[in-house]
Amino acid sequence: MSWAAHDLEPYAIQRHTKLKLAFVPLLLGSYSPDMMTKWFVYGIHVGPWELKASDPAKFHRGWPGFGFTHSFVYGAVIGLIIWKVFGSKLWGVSFLVGQFAHALTDTGDTVGTMLLFPWTFHFHLGAWAYAGQTGRMTDAAAYFSGLGCMWDLVWVVYGLVSWRVLTSAYFDNYIYRADAFWPWLNRVVPRGALLTVYRAAFFYGTSRWVAWTIWAHVIHHYPYDLSWGGPHWVHAAHP
Amino acid sequence: MPELPARHDLVVFAGYCLAAGIYIAIGVAWVDFLLSFWVGLAYLALTAWLVPAAVRRLR
Repeated sequence: MSWAAHDLEPYAIQRHTKLKLAFVPLLLGSYSPDMMTKWFVYGIHVGPWELKASDPAKFHRGWPGFGFTHSFVYGAVIGLIIWKVFGSKLWGVSFLVGQFAHALTDTGDTVGTMLLFPWTFHFHLGAWAYAGQTGRMTDAAAYFSGLGCMWDLVWVVYGLVSWRVLTSAYFDNYIYRADAFWPWLNRVVPRGALLTVYRAAFFYGTSRWVAWTIWAHVIHHYPYDLSWGGPHWVHAAHP
Repeated sequence: MPELPARHDLVVFAGYCLAAGIYIAIGVAWVDFLLSFWVGLAYLALTAWLVPAAVRRLR
């Protein structure tokens, strides 16, 4: 799984794809595969009870489980529903592209994703360890010690180098104009706030990347292991 | 030669960096703060929009 790439990739995709895309559904698509499942992967405490999947990796990425949310067919179906229900092909296609990006990015870890569900084969590069089953804190420590966090860093650097995508002028000329959602929201929300909303995912992803890196390596001194499939000090899940 | 940010862009960027620094400090001290996008959005709306807008109004 990725901790910041899903926040950051939509900025690059929106800028470089040849398709006309709307940013909000693109971001929603990028977030969508994990929206309903992350809490149950890590587990939560409700009073004396702990609610957690018995096999978090299988629940998150496998079948039976919610692994289908990381497949192309899921993005296509939800995108089609958005198109037909809300009457916006732009939103449907943008959602689909964002969801595809998430599903492809998550093939980078050791569990991978069932891209071609209902075929349940897990496409996986195995570049970094999937450690969701160890709990949120160990997963964070492992993720920010392996190649996963380096993949996130690519997108952080991309955003800083391509600083124009975060400017007010870019928002006005490309983001606002591409999608009727923004003028609609602008009727009740000032433009300055809309610009802040547009920048929020980049701010969130980048700030979180820095914060978790400090937490893992300055506060807790977890060792970096940038070898393929690492860090190897954590037990990595496999399909 | 690559286009460089204008002074106004750099001032805005500095403001976001300041907001990010505080967000990161809170997050490192209390990691639950980092877990929700909505908390991040609310924090950013406060620090990058509401506070600057209030300051501009007071001037």
